[in-house]
This record gives sequence, C-alpha cells and structure tokens, in this order.
Amino acid sequence: MTRRLWQIFGPVILAALLVVGILLAPLPNGHISKTRLQADAVSLSPNVLGGARVKAQALAQHYVPFLGSSELARMDPFHPSTLAAKYHRPYQPLLLGNPGTQSLTHFVDDQSELNQLKGKKVVFIVSMQWFTRQGQIPAAFDMYYSPLQLSTWLLRAKGNVADRYAARRLLQMNAPAKSTLDRQSLYQIAAGRPVRGWARLALQARLRMLNNEDQLFSRFTHSTNWRRIKDGEKQLPAKDEPQQLEQLAGKIAKNKTKHNRLGIDDTFYRQRLGHGKLASLRGSQRHFEYRYGPEYGDFELLLQQFAKNHTTVQFIIPPINAKWAAYTGLPMGNYAQAVAKLKYQLASQGFTHVEDLSRDGGQPYFMQDTIHLGWRGWLAVDQTVDPFLTQPQPAEHYHLNDAFFGTTWANTTNVR
Amino acid sequence: MLNLQPYADPQYFLLLMLGLLPVMIGLYHGRRFKTYETLISLLFIILMFTGAKWQQGVALIGYILWQLAIVFGYLHYRKQRNQTGVFVLTVLLSILPLVIVKVTPAVVLHPSLLGFLGISYLTFKAVQVIMELRDGTMKDVELMPFLRFMLFMPVISSGPIDRYRRFQKDYEQVPERTQYLGMLERAIWYLFLGFFYKYMLGYLFGTVLLPRIEFSALAARHMYWLGLSPALIGVAFVYSMYLFFDFAGYSLFAVATSLVMGIDTPMNFNRPFQAHNIKDFWNRWHMTLSFWFRDFIFMRVTFFIMKHKLIKNPIRVSQVAYLINFLIMGFWHGVTWYYIVYGLFHACAIIINDIWLRFKKKHRKQLPHNRWTEALAIATTFCVVCFSFLIFSGFLNTLWFK
Amino acid sequence: MDKKATVLSILNDLTGEDFTNNLDEDLFASGLIDSMDTVQLLLQLQSQLGMDVPVSEFDRNQWNTPAKIIKKAEDAD
Repeated sequence: MTRRLWQIFGPVILAALLVVGILLAPLPNGHISKTRLQADAVSLSPNVLGGARVKAQALAQHYVPFLGSSELARMDPFHPSTLAAKYHRPYQPLLLGNPGTQSLTHFVDDQSELNQLKGKKVVFIVSMQWFTRQGQIPAAFDMYYSPLQLSTWLLRAKGNVADRYAARRLLQMNAPAKSTLDRQSLYQIAAGRPVRGWARLALQARLRMLNNEDQLFSRFTHSTNWRRIKDGEKQLPAKDEPQQLEQLAGKIAKNKTKHNRLGIDDTFYRQRLGHGKLASLRGSQRHFEYRYGPEYGDFELLLQQFAKNHTTVQFIIPPINAKWAAYTGLPMGNYAQAVAKLKYQLASQGFTHVEDLSRDGGQPYFMQDTIHLGWRGWLAVDQTVDPFLTQPQPAEHYHLNDAFFGTTWANTTNVR
Repeated sequence: MLNLQPYADPQYFLLLMLGLLPVMIGLYHGRRFKTYETLISLLFIILMFTGAKWQQGVALIGYILWQLAIVFGYLHYRKQRNQTGVFVLTVLLSILPLVIVKVTPAVVLHPSLLGFLGISYLTFKAVQVIMELRDGTMKDVELMPFLRFMLFMPVISSGPIDRYRRFQKDYEQVPERTQYLGMLERAIWYLFLGFFYKYMLGYLFGTVLLPRIEFSALAARHMYWLGLSPALIGVAFVYSMYLFFDFAGYSLFAVATSLVMGIDTPMNFNRPFQAHNIKDFWNRWHMTLSFWFRDFIFMRVTFFIMKHKLIKNPIRVSQVAYLINFLIMGFWHGVTWYYIVYGLFHACAIIINDIWLRFKKKHRKQLPHNRWTEALAIATTFCVVCFSFLIFSGFLNTLWFK
Repeated sequence: MDKKATVLSILNDLTGEDFTNNLDEDLFASGLIDSMDTVQLLLQLQSQLGMDVPVSEFDRNQWNTPAKIIKKAEDAD
C-alpha cells in the first residue's frame, strides 16, 4: 500500500520540488544573442517592457531606452530604430511603450533598469493625450502590469513624498490591489513606512521567482517588427544626408496619403476612419482637456527617478495632426496651455532637453495619422535625438519640487 | 480579506489540497469525517464570495433557502397527492430565480442582484430532485444530504451536474482502500491533464492566439461581405479550441477534487472533436448538461407528446422535441440573439443529422463505409461544431453591431 | 405471446433488427437506439405489457441490452 501511495504521489511531490527549486534557485541570467536583442528591442512586447532580463542586457550594450507609447509602433523608414540601424549609429533604440503606457505604467515598468541608467541618457516621447482628467487608464495599466517591476519598487520605496504619492495612485489601479501582498505593502508605503518583516521576505522570494520566470520565458517573445525595420532600411539612401532624407520622406508619404484630405496614411484611414466613421467624429474632440489631472503628478514620479539617478533625458513633445485637430474641433488654445504647463514643470526643475514639436502638426507629411509621428516628423525627432545621443552632454542640475505631486498643480494652468 | 476563486491559481490548488488532506487520510483509513468535510467545504465556498463578491454570497444563501422551501414543500405535498398542475408550478418556482437572473441583463442592461456564480448548476440539481419526486423514483429527501448535494464544493461553480441518488450512494459508501487509491490515481491524472488543458492549451488558444486573430478579423471586416474574412474562420477554430480546453480543464479539476473526496462525479467530456455526427457530439460534449437536457427535457417532451398523441408521426415528434430542447438550452446560456441562434442552429443540425441517419439506414447497401468516409464525417462534424461555437462566442455580435 | 417475444417484437419494430440470437448486444453503444426510440420503447412497454416506467427510472446502464429489458419486463409483476 505504501508503495502504491508513493507511485501515486511521488511524481507529484518530485514535480513540485523541481518547480519550486527552479523558480527559487539563483539561476544565471543567460546571454542573449545579438540578433535576439535586435528583435526584442523593437518588439514592443509587454514581456520586454515588464521584464528585466532583456532590458538589463540591452542597456549593458549600446542600447538607449526610448520611452513612449503608441507612436513607437509607427515603424516607417524614418523611425529612430530604422535610422540607427541603417547608418550604424553608436546607439540603437530600446523601444519601451505601447498604446496606453502612460507615466504611471512607465514608472512601474521601468523600475528594474532605473539603476542601470545612472549617468546615462534616455529619450522620452511624451504624448499630451496622456494628460486627460482621468490620467492613466486603469485597464491599460492592468494590461502592462508587471508584478516583477512592482516588487522591485515595493522593496525600494522608503515612504517619502514621491513614494507615498505613487502608492496612493497604484491603489487606484485594479491589478496591484488584487494581490494581498501588493495591497498590504502599498498601504504601508502610503502610510510613509518602508515594507518590513515577513512581507519584505515574501516580496524578495516573489521577486526571485519572477526574475527566474522572466529569465525562462523572456526567450519566447515573438515579434515580426525587426522585419519591418529591415524593410525600411532597404528604402533608405546609402548616405545619412538630411536633405536627401527629407525629400525621400516627402515622396514616400505623398504616395501613402493619396486617398484622403487629412494627410493620414491610407491604410490607417481605411481601417479606422473609413466607411463613414470620420463623419461621426466631426467635432468629437471639442471638449478634450489635457490641462488638468493626475498625469502631471505621475509624470513627476518619473522626473524624480531620473533626477535621483542623474539620468540625462531628451524629452520630445509630438504634435497633433492639424487637419485632424481642426476637423474634430480640438481646442488648440487649451492644448497649447497644457504643453506650456508641462514645459514649465520640466524647465523649473532643471530639465533642459525639451524638443517641443507641438506646433508642427500642420507641416506636410509630419504625422503618419491623427496623433502619431511619421515620415518627416520622425526626421525632425532625429535632428534632435542624434546629436543628443552622439555628443557628450553637460550634467544637468536638478532642483526637484514635490509640489508637482499636489492637487493644486494638477488643477492649475497658472504657470508663473 | 482572502478571496479564492475555484481553480483560478496555484495558491488555490495548494490550499485546497491542504484542506482536503484530513479527508484523504480519513478515506484512506476507511472513514469519512463528515463534520470536517462539511466545514472545510463551507469555508471554501465562503472564500469564493468574500470582498467585493459578498452580494453574490447573500444571493446564494437566499437562493438555497428558496429551493429548500420549494423542494421540501413539494416533498410534503407529494407524499399525499400527485397533481400535474402542482408539479408544473413547483418546477416553475424552482427555476424562477434563474429566469430572473438570465432575463435581467437583457432588459435593464445590468446583472441581477439575485445572481451568483453557479446558479444555473444548482438549479439543474434542484429541478432534477423535484422531477424524481414527481416520478416516484425518489420517495424521500433529507435536509443534510440535500444541502450536501446542492452545495458540493468541487462542482458548485460550473458542474459537472451530478444526480442526487448517484451522489448520495457514493457519499454513504466509503470506498475500499484499493478502490480509493485507484480514485486518487485518477484524481492526480485528471488534475495534471487539467493543468495541461486549461493553463497551457487554453492559455495558448485563449490568451495568446484568440485576441490576435480576433483583431485581424475586425481589421479586415470592411473588405469582405458581412465581414466574412478568412481570419473569421480562424476565430471559429481558435475559439472552439479555447472553449474546449478551458472548460474541459476546469471539469477535470472538479472531477479530480470530487475523487479526492471519495465521490465519483461523472465526466463532462469524452473526446468531443472525434464525434462522427452531431448526435454523437452531444453524447461527448458537456455530457452532464446534455444528458440532463436529454433526460429531463427531450425525453419528457417526447413522452408527453406521444402519450397524448399530440403529433402522430414519431419523426415529427423528435423534431419538435429537439427544437424545444435546444431552444431552452440557448435561453439558458443567456438571453442574447447569439445564444438563441446557437440553440436553433444545433436543433437544425441534429434534425438534418437524423434525416441523414434514416437515409443511411435505408440505403446501407449502396453507401460506402470505410476509413475515409469516417474521416469525412468527423471533419464535417468538427467544422459544423466550430461554426456553432463562433455563433456562441458572441464575436459575430462584435463584428456586426459594435 | 410471452413477455420475451413481445419485447423482441417491440425492439424489432424500433430498430428493424431481430435480436432473438443477439440478446446481449449493447443497443446504445451500437447506435441502434437513441433517446427517441427509448421513449417509444417505454410507451410500447406500457401499452402492450402494462409496465409503468417513469423516464427518470430509465438508467441506460440497466436497459442497454435486449436481455436486460426482457428481465425488467419479467420482473415487473
């Protein structure tokens, strides 16, 4: 009988021990091949964004994080990744972002690499569309939620003003509140105390487990984006010459925007705005508001992290397609005020590298669709990013101000 | 507070097995610790309805009281008399909460307060007891056994649907040691097969593939008539695979947990995609549900029609009964056009299938029968079934009306 | 006519097969009988032999061969 019991439960016990062993053992991280990194860097996969292994190995090489959101997926021949690959730039973008990754998602998901960015450079494309009354969309946050990255932060947080603000914001999302451990830890930090005792041990064990999972499963990221980069490279001239590139961008874009009057990529237009949908959107953005909301505080979280690690950041504020904005009735005066507010938040704290493209939405072939950079827009970005990344930059002198977390700042347009 | 959704994460399985360890040890030594079993089952049921789900918990308690009143009221009545009208009224009262829960979202567009996870499955069990009392195949019901049957923890949320007398026999009979070890062996096998089904294949089809192919189908919908793109065919097959592996995986967990508790809950699936025809399919797919419908709706309807000679032709009788049977099944899934069309679709499929089977019977000599015709039959059945699941998925609703 | 012959003739009507020499054939597994036939079988047993079998009494495992059905009919008194 005992033998039979062993026959039944032995394999289960063995399997359980093996799984626990593998998950809790300090596994070596395993080297990622060059081609694999190339593909992962442009994959835009949530596995890469929420993981740690790929980012760590990429940043140890010549990769530079490009933080952003949906525009990163506009991989035409003038996309930063294509230009950098074609002209063998000393840097290659590590694209971090997806539709819906706003400041709070970035704040959590970028935790593992923040330490690695000490004294290094980052490019950050900030969309004004993030700065709604609601701020981070909870569903999007949940989609990109990474327990690994959150655990990293929970173990790091001390309970200062920024930590307390972050904990309160995170408790407003759905995903972290689902786990008892996360929730209790967030309450601790929101009350101004670092996580201690058993919870800390549990978080450490979980982090180890999640790191091992990331180690094992980050190998299975699948993306065909690198092929798009390669296709783009084929269309580019041999020499990295701005005038020539501008002309080519105009030519390609002209071909792609033949069938609509908004200067939007025809495929996008057909799929998203065709069949009478456009008409229903006329005037639909008349009440859009980017001047107020929690996003300004969430954004401050990232600024403080950059400052703490002496990371030099090139901010880029992309424009909105002017014809689209006019058609949908977006109040441009308010939009300009929102941009000014954001720029004040940056400048007053010592962030000097800000490329404001917000007034270029009317330039021909600047936008690939409604709100996303394309062709000549990407070239304008390159004009700033290339020198920023290839030339040495003087150290910035940050003077942080916690008032940017406050509701007063969230609800004001008075920037003087 | 801790909230545990059945079979949702590794933590649940760990806690479940820990909780059931004393039950296992008891059964291994030929004893059933009834009090402990009741308490641990209650605990797991309570933990399903903690936190934001407390309203569902309250609804469950109210529901159980309601069914208790109906079943025991009917039992009391049935011991003295047996009128058809009272029986019909009792059944209607018993399914009333379920009807309210199913109709509410279609009328007021938000879920009913009476609803809770598992209400349909509890209703099947209660109605079955009432029907057996009516037939006289069950003479008596006792309070505790009835509650135990209704609230049997492993199957409370989504079946399989057991039968009272079968369940009760298993419960009262403690299996012999070798027999119990055999049950444990099966339990472990089902548990791990369930992991493979639900968390690997179900994940692959449902989480990895389905959103992508649905996205392709939505992106291409304007290029095809009614949005019938090649990607839509992909949606049909991928969704069907997801539905099977997710639900079959869940059912395996429920059966495995029952086995650990010494109850041989019936299986829900028997290689449904190897069915040779639609009729065969319903003998293999969600078996405890289709058998329930067969025994308590289809057979009763045919019996009634034939006994009262409402329709003379037996073929017509079966066709009417199929329509009623599958329409009820459609409504049971929910009051939306696609569930009802799904029911009608299967009724038509099975009627056509019957016509074909009769034709085949008559022309047995002329029709070829070999490996290839069998393969053709399986492939045809599979495609028809996958198409029905495309209707069932509600994706067409998104494709056409959203 | 005895009960055995009656049952066999009912089954013959339903399936078109003669089970006189095949008393242990599994009627459900071979697909010779479906739910519909079952109901007809029960009705015929009722009208020809006066057996009253409620539908919920009908357990497929106990009614799946001609021999078992004959036994049920003979035990009915």
